[in-house]
Amino acid sequence: MIKFRYKNFDWGLMAVALILSVIGILLIYSAKHYSANVVERGIYLKQIVWLFLGFCACIIVFLIPLRFYEVFSYVLYFIALSTLLLILIVGSSKMGASRWFSLGGLNIQPSEFAKIATIFALSRYLAYSKRSIYSFRWLVPVIGIAVLPALLVLRQPDLGTSLVFLAILISMSFWAGVPIFYLFLIVSPFISLICASHWVAWALFFLILIIILYHLRLNFLFSVGFLLCNLAFGMITPLIWNRLHDYQKDRIIVFLDPGRDPQGAGYQIIQSKIAIGSGGLLGKGYLQGSQTKLAFLPHQHTDFVFSVLGEELGFWGSLMLLGLFSFIIVKGILIANKARNAFASNAALGITSILAFQMLVNIGMTVGFLPVTGLPMPFVSYGGSSMLSSWIVVGLLLAIHYRWYEY
Amino acid sequence: MERLRDSNEFIGGFIPRKQRAKILIGFLGISILVLSLRLFSLQVMKASYYKRISDENRIRLVPLQAPRGIITDQNGRVITFNRPSYTVFLIPYEVKNLDFVAERLAPLLNLDLSTLKERLKANWSRRYEPIKLKKDVDFKTICVIEEQNQDLPGVIYQVEQIRRYPDCGWAGHVLGYVRELSKEELSSDSVSSAEKSDFSESTSLKLSPAERRGYRPGGYIGRKGVEKQYDDLLRGKEGGTFLEITAAGKIIGPLEDREPDLPVKGTDIKLTLDLDLQVEAESALMNYESAAVVAIDPANGEILALVSKPGFDANLLAGALSSAEWNEILQNPLHPLLSRTVQATYAPGSTLKLLTAAIALESGIANKNTYLAPCNGSYRFGRRTFRCWRPEGHGRLNLVDAIIHSCDVYFYQLGLKVGLEEWCRYAKLCGFAEKVGVDLPDEVKGFVPSLEYYNKKYGKGEWVKNLVINLSIGQGEILVTPLQMASFYCGLATDGTIYRPHILKEITSPDGRVSIAQSEVWRHLPFSSATLGVLKEAMVGVVNDKDGTGVLAQIPDVTVAGKTGTAQNPHGEDHAWFVGYAPAKDPKIVVAVVMENIGHGGTFAAPVAKRIIDKYLKRGIVAERADSVLAGDTP
Ligand SMILES: [Zn+2]
Repeated sequence: MIKFRYKNFDWGLMAVALILSVIGILLIYSAKHYSANVVERGIYLKQIVWLFLGFCACIIVFLIPLRFYEVFSYVLYFIALSTLLLILIVGSSKMGASRWFSLGGLNIQPSEFAKIATIFALSRYLAYSKRSIYSFRWLVPVIGIAVLPALLVLRQPDLGTSLVFLAILISMSFWAGVPIFYLFLIVSPFISLICASHWVAWALFFLILIIILYHLRLNFLFSVGFLLCNLAFGMITPLIWNRLHDYQKDRIIVFLDPGRDPQGAGYQIIQSKIAIGSGGLLGKGYLQGSQTKLAFLPHQHTDFVFSVLGEELGFWGSLMLLGLFSFIIVKGILIANKARNAFASNAALGITSILAFQMLVNIGMTVGFLPVTGLPMPFVSYGGSSMLSSWIVVGLLLAIHYRWYEY
Repeated sequence: MERLRDSNEFIGGFIPRKQRAKILIGFLGISILVLSLRLFSLQVMKASYYKRISDENRIRLVPLQAPRGIITDQNGRVITFNRPSYTVFLIPYEVKNLDFVAERLAPLLNLDLSTLKERLKANWSRRYEPIKLKKDVDFKTICVIEEQNQDLPGVIYQVEQIRRYPDCGWAGHVLGYVRELSKEELSSDSVSSAEKSDFSESTSLKLSPAERRGYRPGGYIGRKGVEKQYDDLLRGKEGGTFLEITAAGKIIGPLEDREPDLPVKGTDIKLTLDLDLQVEAESALMNYESAAVVAIDPANGEILALVSKPGFDANLLAGALSSAEWNEILQNPLHPLLSRTVQATYAPGSTLKLLTAAIALESGIANKNTYLAPCNGSYRFGRRTFRCWRPEGHGRLNLVDAIIHSCDVYFYQLGLKVGLEEWCRYAKLCGFAEKVGVDLPDEVKGFVPSLEYYNKKYGKGEWVKNLVINLSIGQGEILVTPLQMASFYCGLATDGTIYRPHILKEITSPDGRVSIAQSEVWRHLPFSSATLGVLKEAMVGVVNDKDGTGVLAQIPDVTVAGKTGTAQNPHGEDHAWFVGYAPAKDPKIVVAVVMENIGHGGTFAAPVAKRIIDKYLKRGIVAERADSVLAGDTP
């Protein structure tokens, strides 16, 4: 066996991931230690087991040569897609939300792993495609690879996770060298849709769009077609929207933004803000959170775990968490920058973008910035699939760092 | 168009990898900074505010009622609207002497003193939370409370919109009623069974399906009739505002960082019902205990009148009903909550002879001049004797005369020629044993037997022929709803096209947008126009021949067509049927009348149908009466 090169191993990254996981376990313990239910009180033990499994997975992933992922990337992607499709067919016949697969008592969430498989597939395509990044032929597969699993996940329905795929798409295309203006064009139909709610905003949007199209000196026909497409997106949507009855609109609104439902998620956000705000500068102290104790937040061990931290450890505690995450993310970007192998570099960046996106959206949600979408915080939130996939991702980053010089 | 760019010239945009990494790190930095600022604002700037709420620790969601949609008839006359009502509360902390206040309140609110005291004591611990004493208190009592507010500390009242239905239960089964939802009802699935929303599982929140659709305990839900069918439209969307309150329930004020969600008014609904006609139909049945009437416009399936007797007082059901009153309704042997037009099934009696005749004509077994063995008052088949309704017999008849005089013996023979299987097949083709699909809740589909059914019930054998003898005159196993019968006659009255009967005409959204319900064809009768022509001729004869069975439905200047029926009923007197339409040449209305336990269709049901048709075709003569239904209230 080849000698293990201590110096090439990124100890810091692993240590920070471990610290975050331990913080998560402590917070889960705090969130549930007052519960009358013995099983609920003990869920932090489950999380410890998951951490252990995650750590093992991380080591296994680290030991497998990078070439393996590269060769099997499309196979893995195909398996992930089939699993998502299968869960839609099998799961939907049972209870409504079909995100889970039950394997011998363990609930596995395939979409967590589909993210990683999608990153592999995209990384490989971006690394090997000879086409010009300004061509349609290049762009269509890129969008296809990311949007296909996103749509399947959206059907589950799980809006939050499907947005993660969008984040992967944007960040990895950027990394592949697509200029920011082009990225803007890719997402512009959605922006058009949002801006269409007010004519001033919409007019401004088109002005910017035209300037960008002019600036890029794009093919004239394409530019006109593109503008029309954006126009249509902005105009047809309100038309369809107006045809709907109010109760249908309400359902869609609650689907897109459950925070609008005052008795459900709206209540949660308020309670979450009260918890975080009342923590103050230094927090109420570990295990001392009164909001946490009174269980005002039903999801405080999963999606709202940050509110427990905010209440008990205060502003400084929150900043510490942000700092730890920033460390991992910056590390990830640097690893992507350093890696010589294009596939490895792309993969490292995709992985990092998931971690960053989920962390930002999760905290944004608990502080009332973003709608409640149900994205867990990597490493910290309770949940086996999330923990496993977070550590697999760490394993990959470590591997890429360790073998950065490989072509 | 392979390349998006016209030239390969290098214009902005491309950034080397190292720069890209820097941009990404910068982007992360900005995001982290924004979040930190938000956290700073929450945890440092507003920390004391949140600490206070956290210490006092209660937030109460106060629902803001959404006015329910108004229901009008096809001419826009209001049938159901909302009226303000007063609900009286007591706030414990302002009361010094509980017994003193309770003793004064009990007679004023017409409540039992001991139960009132019990209720107050049970809720006394939350001293700032108002205790609901009585709903829908009349204005006079409110005036008295106002006058005596010195002696009645802590007694407050609130205005709430409640539903106002027509007096005396007019159109009760059509409209239905609303009731307050209890916690138990909400958690059970019964509420949501109507339709499950596509998005019901979209959020990770632990709400019952009913709650996700916007129901909450203490809110209203439509029960029965249009109120149930179109609850999602009528209900609107309840708003809510968050109040900050202390642990004891004292209101500090609205929560600072959240705007109230304003309620959205419900959608107004216009029914196809004609209020004049509905009133006329109900008046025509005034002296009868249990009956059902369906009137439909055959040109589009619009339901013009729909009566089910006995009815119920929707105002009573929507209000505070005691369990004794509720039990009385439930145990009434006449089942007033049963909507007979769509939920009750009857043997159709002779009104279904037209089906037997149509099958015979269509399959060439008979034509309008076919004579069968003469009727001498009974028909012997095998070892059994089947009687004609007229003991002295009808003599020799052709098909048209047999319909006009409703001779049973003729139809026994015709039924035998048609055969059981063929008869049942056609009955199903005509839409029997199938829900019509009307937009009213709980429709039943009735029953048409089949050969398999009989084989199972009686075993194989010669009985087949006995059974078809019964079926051919609308007796035996067949069961139909009055709505199915009316729909069948819609087909007979026209060229065989039956529009799906419906009660919704148009809806008006709160923003003023109007959408009109489209009429759709339900089915076509499997009969040629020649067949239908013969039946039409016969139906005109039933009413207009001097010794037809339906002469009591005659109207001067208008040719009414139809068929009487007298359905034998093992539990008592016969049910009287009349189903008909007018004018015969260009039908504007189809009416089906069934009256339970009363006798001959020609004697009882035909005059009722006549009144309804007469009113509809010559409307406007007594228009004042309809307006008086809602006298005393203004919407
Ligand atoms: Zn006879």
